[in-house]
Amino acid sequence: MSCARWASLVAGALTSAALFAMPVQALPETAIVLNSDEASMSVVDRQSMTEIERIPVGREPHHLILTPDGKDLVVASTVTNELLFLDPVTARERKRVRNIVDPYQLGYSPDGKWFVTAAYRLNHVDIYEAKDLRLVKRLPLHSLPSHLTFSADSNFVYFTVQGSNQVAALDLVKQEIVWTIDVGEAPAGIHVFPDQKRLLVGLTGEDAAVVVDLATRGVSKRIVTGKGAHNIFKMPADDKRVLITNRVEGSMSIIDLEKLEVVDTIKVAGGPDDVDFSPDGKIAWVTQRWRRRVAAVELSTRRILGTVLVGRSPHGIYINGPHTVSRSVLPPPERSDATAATKR
Amino acid sequence: MLESLTNLWADLQGRLLEIVQPLIHRFGLTEFYDDVPAGLETLTLGILQIAVILLIFRPLESLAPAQRWENRKLVRVDVVYTLLNKLGIIPLAIFLILLPLNDELMEFTRTVGFVLPTVEQIIPWLRDKPLLLFLVYFLLYDLAGYIWHRAQHGLPWLWALHSLHHSQRQVSTWTDDRNHVLDDLLFDIYLAIVAILIGVQPGQFVAILLLGRLIEAFSHVNTRFGFGRVLDKVLVDPMFHRTHHALANPAEPHIHDTNFSAVFPIWDIIFRTAHYDYKQRDSGVDDPVADADNGKGFIGQQIAGLVRLGRAIARSFSSRSARPTPAE
Repeated sequence: MSCARWASLVAGALTSAALFAMPVQALPETAIVLNSDEASMSVVDRQSMTEIERIPVGREPHHLILTPDGKDLVVASTVTNELLFLDPVTARERKRVRNIVDPYQLGYSPDGKWFVTAAYRLNHVDIYEAKDLRLVKRLPLHSLPSHLTFSADSNFVYFTVQGSNQVAALDLVKQEIVWTIDVGEAPAGIHVFPDQKRLLVGLTGEDAAVVVDLATRGVSKRIVTGKGAHNIFKMPADDKRVLITNRVEGSMSIIDLEKLEVVDTIKVAGGPDDVDFSPDGKIAWVTQRWRRRVAAVELSTRRILGTVLVGRSPHGIYINGPHTVSRSVLPPPERSDATAATKR
Repeated sequence: MLESLTNLWADLQGRLLEIVQPLIHRFGLTEFYDDVPAGLETLTLGILQIAVILLIFRPLESLAPAQRWENRKLVRVDVVYTLLNKLGIIPLAIFLILLPLNDELMEFTRTVGFVLPTVEQIIPWLRDKPLLLFLVYFLLYDLAGYIWHRAQHGLPWLWALHSLHHSQRQVSTWTDDRNHVLDDLLFDIYLAIVAILIGVQPGQFVAILLLGRLIEAFSHVNTRFGFGRVLDKVLVDPMFHRTHHALANPAEPHIHDTNFSAVFPIWDIIFRTAHYDYKQRDSGVDDPVADADNGKGFIGQQIAGLVRLGRAIARSFSSRSARPTPAE
């Protein structure tokens, strides 16, 4: 392993440790929700279950991500071609970066070197230098490049290509698309297994997630979850289970990645889409695209604690805390602290 | 009040989506997932408008008509136009035709970096005033409509299509949607270009949107009722728009080249095309070829419009000097 790779791994580990050392009691009990059919984001008070503020952002904000150092929350506005950098605690704007074309999905490579976006409507993917957001490469990817995820070594980005029913692999070293494979109807969410040898892909046009074997580049298993299987999220402090939203079915399935089967299902109506977890990891906050709401689901009881009215077509959601799914550099599971806080 | 209506509307749309999206999924149309909400909203708005037409505008035409007709035979075909439009059939066909073009246009302009600043980027003060911002866009799109309408009356080949809207002798609340399908298609292409130039409103105030569309339908109502001599300078009313539908006569050969605005008469006032004399006039076109639309059904009118368009184009090629003006 090169010195640079060692340095980036150490930096990543230190960042993770620093994030975990944050006093969760000091976190404001809010959730930031992107209203994708508007030009706004809602700040939700998780305790009182109310929207306390609606802040204007660029047009059609869909997704968000933390910067590798965790200091900024990046909100991407697809139609205004801009990124908004926010204080992740207060949601106050720090800066705007223009001319990021159609940043639908976005992510930083785990080594913190690259910033990659998928231009869903414009059928290309962009690689930027993470430090100054300088465009390095634009690669066409037809059609509808949707979600993306990185390999842990930062060598690959895997994209779902919703319009052509494929998964594509972008080699970040060569900076080219190195392979594409057919996976099923309208693939969306994508997740790398902890062993880094397989991918789990949600098929929104079907009722299942499929396992893609990276060695054989083929689908090795189909797991029925529910109609409109969509986005996939690692469960809090648990590398072995993921949660997948089933938009059309109106549910979320919990998949055991070792058994490769659904171990639990939670009903959440209204087109459940993106999820983030409370600082104690006990509550999943889910955006309900069609109902203009976010729902708080207690994971232990599978009970919906309440819903909050927000803007039109709520999509991305962020909760400041150790279990957020918006972190580019994920903390190791053994460092998680599920008992330190009782916040929603 | 506005917020409650908006919330009520959002809840209704959400419930409908929960019924419709599984059907979209079932028929394998997942690529249209993101387009369904807008389509559904257009459809429900259309149904609401039909309800208002039936419950308010039609009774008003019977109670206080501007013109009395022996029968309403000529109106029947306009009902067909209204249903085809308000129930989303013509808009859906146009959407499917324009989708590839729209995508290509957007992909090209945005990839080459042609992204003009939005209104709120030019005036950041408007960012946290969504209602005001919506109204600004509403006004801008009304202006865009005014400009297009002037072109429909000024360019012979556009008038060949638009004269179908004016050929109706019995202008009623149903006449609003009486347009040639190609005319609608061209207008939507124009709107797509306008959307690239000025953007679209970021928020949605459905109450205002509905009000705007109802004003357009109301402006065609056959009634003496109007908004009065002050408010009719703010919003278009039937008296104002009937002048626009007036039959040209030797004394007023260009009477229909006035009052082009759809919602806000301010554009006619600014561009000096407003005509307020509160006179009752017959409606229709002073052109026997276009007037013959009155005996035809939907298909016949569509064919006749295409024939007129072909002739207008042929005339423009054959002789520039002989090019007729819409008033001829």
